[in-house]
Amino acid sequence: MSQVRLEQVTKSFGGVLVIPPLDLVIADKEFVVLVGPSGCGKTTTLRMIAGLEQATSGEIRIGDRDVTTLRPGLRNCSMVFQNYALYPHMTVAENIGYGMKVRGTPKADIDRAVAEAARILNLGAYLNRKPSALSGGQRQRVAIGRAIVRQPDVFLFDEPLSNLDAKLRIEMRTEIKLLHRRLQTTIVYVTHDQVEAMTMADRVVVMSQGRIEQAADPITLYELPKNLFVAAFIGAPSMNFIEGTLERGGDNLVFHADGGVAIPVPNGRAALVAEAIGQPVVLGIRPEHTMVADPSFPTVPLKIADIEPLGPHTLAIGKIGPAAFTAQVPAGTRIRPDDTISVPIDHEKMHFFLKSTGEAIGR
Amino acid sequence: MSVRTLKGNGRWWALAGCLLWLAFTFFPLYWVAITSFKTPLGVVGGPTYIPFVDFQPSLSAWRELLSGERGQFYNTFIASTIIGLSASLIATAVGSMAAYALVRFTFRVKLLSALLFVVVAFGGYLICYNIFRIGQALSLIYAFLAALSLAVASSRLRLPGPVLGNNDIVFWFVSQRMFPPIVAAFALFLMYTEMGKIGLKLVDTYVGLTFAYIAFSLPIVIWLMRDFFEALPIEVEEAAMVDNVPSWRIFIGIVLPMSKPGLIATFMITLAFVWNEFLFALFLTHSKWQTLPILVAGQNSQRGDEWWAISAAALVAIIPMVIMAGILSRFMRSGLLLGAIK
Repeated sequence: MSQVRLEQVTKSFGGVLVIPPLDLVIADKEFVVLVGPSGCGKTTTLRMIAGLEQATSGEIRIGDRDVTTLRPGLRNCSMVFQNYALYPHMTVAENIGYGMKVRGTPKADIDRAVAEAARILNLGAYLNRKPSALSGGQRQRVAIGRAIVRQPDVFLFDEPLSNLDAKLRIEMRTEIKLLHRRLQTTIVYVTHDQVEAMTMADRVVVMSQGRIEQAADPITLYELPKNLFVAAFIGAPSMNFIEGTLERGGDNLVFHADGGVAIPVPNGRAALVAEAIGQPVVLGIRPEHTMVADPSFPTVPLKIADIEPLGPHTLAIGKIGPAAFTAQVPAGTRIRPDDTISVPIDHEKMHFFLKSTGEAIGR
Repeated sequence: MSVRTLKGNGRWWALAGCLLWLAFTFFPLYWVAITSFKTPLGVVGGPTYIPFVDFQPSLSAWRELLSGERGQFYNTFIASTIIGLSASLIATAVGSMAAYALVRFTFRVKLLSALLFVVVAFGGYLICYNIFRIGQALSLIYAFLAALSLAVASSRLRLPGPVLGNNDIVFWFVSQRMFPPIVAAFALFLMYTEMGKIGLKLVDTYVGLTFAYIAFSLPIVIWLMRDFFEALPIEVEEAAMVDNVPSWRIFIGIVLPMSKPGLIATFMITLAFVWNEFLFALFLTHSKWQTLPILVAGQNSQRGDEWWAISAAALVAIIPMVIMAGILSRFMRSGLLLGAIK
């Protein structure tokens, strides 16, 4: 049982409150990813769980133990750092076995644990090498090996893949997921890369300015973002936002964009967003929901400024009225900068947010 | 930019400049070396430069030096070696620990506690000596112990006034090297003689001189090692902390091996300082634990400027340092941190 529970945890650095009271429960065996822009407090939160930072107030529990004031070594966590943090003067085997050696584990047991970790992580051929003779991916695997042999209650990963090149990052992503499935240990993983968060997590915690904006499984985050921040942060390319107002037009509800474009709201959604009639709202639509031209979909004119062919599809970047807009168009569509094209909007996939608070409405 | 990038004539000018500088730095050494092989007559009879051409080398100066005719040569050499090695070793060890603590832990010393120390140390000494009349040495010891314990105890109280941090402590260490050493040497001599009167013999002893050298080397060691430790990636130590490695194991097993080049450089600098130190040795020793600089300087005193004898003694004083530097520089290679991070 190694649930991690943060209750009303705060952190101040020299009088500056970087984490306002924060509550987070990470279930046993759950893979939770903390994600957010730099400076959002995700690493500080992780370091407070590890004990490398002392919480200013509040309570941190791992399993049924209160670890709030416990020193890092006694929390039975393993941590993998962004820059690997290997012991440069030790071989791979010594790096992995050092913690056990210090704790006085018999040599035969250490050798067995190191061999097992090396087998899981494909490090067998490198056990006698120094870290300086390894590639980045191998070094990170050594760091993970060092974490595994600890048999911790919780694995803590602090942006472990951000120093690797793109291809290796995708491979390691899969390896860490496999590792989680195999070891069945709670994992708290910090990253600023929303793709990493979406692909790896059971549950993603989106943070900004020390607060949790939304904590949910990846698909919920994608389909039902709770506010403008989450909507903009999750998904690549980012969601398009058009400011305007909701008005009643006959029987239907119509979104009037500030630039003059009008988009009818489908009847299924109308009742839900009716509360915001007359108020300034923000309409959100993801680029991938602007591609299929269904006759029932409303269309908007997009003045193209740039074109990004990606292979499977092409991105047309431009403006709708005053608002920046990225549309996804089928590959091979003949478009050029300065063209104005008519972009279909999948109105079932539209999101509405109150401009005043940024909160989503009608969901 | 490097010499390699230079083209044509520039390259030759650079080389010529380097050679000129080399000759400039090596000439004194060469001069000392050939002078040590000259006879007294050869030295005073005008300059000669090339052995076997200008003058006939003679071993007389070396024979006089090694036979002990010119002071206790072997004794001095051994004293210098023992004191030099042990003082620099202890200073490097103790100083490194202090420097590490100053880099990784936050200390808060109340200014009031520091002032209390000064007041009690001076006042206590004056009171003990003038009012209770218990002798200078004992007064010193009592006053110091009282001041230290009071200062430590009081720093735990909630005292008003400014609080000193790590940088202030480092500055305090470095400031000990700012005043002229003669001040400390003379005071130490007086203190040591007083200690001798109560049976604690420190003048002309191994303990006395080594202790003085350790105390005087510590500021440099702390200052140098602090920079080396600050350059270490803290994540490596944090990884060990999370892995439940105790602090002292982190220091011995991880931090020290990572800062090996720094430790060796610091040891070399300290050794050079102790080996060449003159003033303290002059004040605090007179026969048994006299060191080489005193012997070399002594050649000048009794019979006038006997340059051949001074040269031979000076060479003897240089050679061990050259050998040490040669051996240790092999360990001072950089790149030891490679692979720790990124």
